[in-house]
Amino acid sequence: MDTLSYLGQGFDVALSPNNLVTALAGTTIGTIVGLLPGLGPINGVALLIPVAFALGLPPETALILLASVYLGCEYGGRISSILLNIPGEASAVMTTLDGHPLAKQGKGGIALSISAWSSFIGGLIATIGVTIFAPLLAKWAVSFGPAEYFMLMVFAIVCLAGMAGDKPIKTAVAVLIGLMLACVGIDANSGVYRFTFGSLGLADGIQFVVLVLGLFSVSEILMLLERTHQGQVAVKASGRMLFNLKEGAFVLATNLRSGVLGFIFGVLPGAGATLASAVSYMSEKRLAGHKGRFGDGDLRGLAAPETANSASACGSMIPMLTLGIPGSGTTAVMLGALTLYNITPGPLLFQHQPDIVWGLIASLFVANIILIVMNIPMIKVFTRILSVPNWTLVPAIAIITSIGVYAVHATTFDLFLMIAIGLFGYLLRKLDFPLSALLLGFILGHMMESNLRRALSISNGDLGILFSSPITIGLWVLVAAMVALPFWRRYRTKRSAALASA
Amino acid sequence: MLYQRLFAASLLLACLCLGFIAWGYQAPFSYEPVGPRAYPLMLLILLALGALVLLVKPAMESSESDEPALTRPMLIKAAICLGLLLALAALFERLGFIPTSILFALGMARLFGGRWLPSAVLALVLGVGLYFLFDRVLEVPLPLGVLSALEI
Repeated sequence: MDTLSYLGQGFDVALSPNNLVTALAGTTIGTIVGLLPGLGPINGVALLIPVAFALGLPPETALILLASVYLGCEYGGRISSILLNIPGEASAVMTTLDGHPLAKQGKGGIALSISAWSSFIGGLIATIGVTIFAPLLAKWAVSFGPAEYFMLMVFAIVCLAGMAGDKPIKTAVAVLIGLMLACVGIDANSGVYRFTFGSLGLADGIQFVVLVLGLFSVSEILMLLERTHQGQVAVKASGRMLFNLKEGAFVLATNLRSGVLGFIFGVLPGAGATLASAVSYMSEKRLAGHKGRFGDGDLRGLAAPETANSASACGSMIPMLTLGIPGSGTTAVMLGALTLYNITPGPLLFQHQPDIVWGLIASLFVANIILIVMNIPMIKVFTRILSVPNWTLVPAIAIITSIGVYAVHATTFDLFLMIAIGLFGYLLRKLDFPLSALLLGFILGHMMESNLRRALSISNGDLGILFSSPITIGLWVLVAAMVALPFWRRYRTKRSAALASA
Repeated sequence: MLYQRLFAASLLLACLCLGFIAWGYQAPFSYEPVGPRAYPLMLLILLALGALVLLVKPAMESSESDEPALTRPMLIKAAICLGLLLALAALFERLGFIPTSILFALGMARLFGGRWLPSAVLALVLGVGLYFLFDRVLEVPLPLGVLSALEI
């Protein structure tokens, strides 16, 4: 019952006029940002941090803004996948498989409304999940010491690499680069300047807004240079705009299954929306068997990844809020925003600042409802935004990015640093390194080092503390399993290839 | 494949250099068993191992990339783009936000294939509009630079 009364308190926060307007603005901005090429949820959230700071928004309002932008982006990304067959980000790839064929059959309106509905159900299932499980996990996590935290972060990182599929080593290298970048600056424990090369601008470390915008905006601008196709022709969303009851009932079971699946994947560190949408699509396809028309416009093939996608977006709030460990690039950015406000997410947040936590959870509900109400009538307006050509878009993105970076410290040093990081990120992308892994490493870096050092202070330098409790030993086992996973997978594909050729 | 190897090699080199630098990090006085040196060194060793694997067996991790290969005109374009960004950073405070961003937006719009007149209109709108949006409405202070005489 405690949970329910807290949730009521949360709704009081979320439904206050200020926060409601914030959520509305956030979802609108998010949807547009998600639509535009070259901007995803990560840059969208990162760009708004300086603005939220400059406006002097209180922390819970700022967090609501960022969360609603995040959800809005996931919504907006879908419109370009369905009508243009261009997934705005990796997690939207599965949406194009059945979404675009539907649009070509003249069912664009139905496809868009079904996907909006699916996202809503996914978000709702996951938000209920967050309400139930987040306090439980927080209660349990209070007993975590620094050694347990350190192991948890090791597990999150190994998970990321193990789940990355075909390039575990590149993912691991990207995370390590991120961890190294977090070492730059003055060491909090001893006051030693590390890797600053005598530069004053690097003395208090690389600002995470600078890193995020460099990695994701600047490198994206360079990427856009190569995609010369301009003024893409969108398939017109014509005919019936709303799906009917029969179609809704047809996909309901899929919605429910994929929602639960997506939530679980969202909670797992490092798995995230991309994996969630892929797995749910595949499992629905298998369940449908030969009767399904997956790939040429099956409604279930559209509903599954969309539901899973938004369920995992909400689900990834759980590790962020309760453990302070982000599960995705976007929650990593939100975590960075919280630390700017001097709020340390973790189990104690539930006790000390219930307003923030429950306000956020309630605003997830509210944002989901706003999104579905807004999206169905506004689809026509949003599709028009898709025809904005790159030459107007890119200068605007570049200038706004620079403003965002400049706003942090008001030094041009950060602008140069952003460009350098952007160039580096561009090279990494060209070489197929996952940038979101790097970002996650960067965000985890400080926490990881300070927890390791704190743990070793407790044990007076004895590494045995990392094996001393049942939780750490359990985490070691999980880490070992995750390290073994890519090897096992490689062995299995090799064997099945050998069997096929024999 | 060559680029992958090249990158892995330079990563390895960077690890070695940073390792030498990190070796010198010692706390003048310390209350803790672990100083500022151990953790970065541990990361560098892991990173170097990863780079080594990528250097020896780059084929293991590279699938056919769907990114188009870099061609000469592409490189020139990317260089111009970087040049414009650097100019933006260099002039941001000296010239002030409005003139710098007008010039920058004009250059970028042209680079991305806009025609002269629309690009110029866009640049003006962005330069002035974004200044008022951020500096006045959203209260993010931006430098006025040479235009500071006009400030009321």
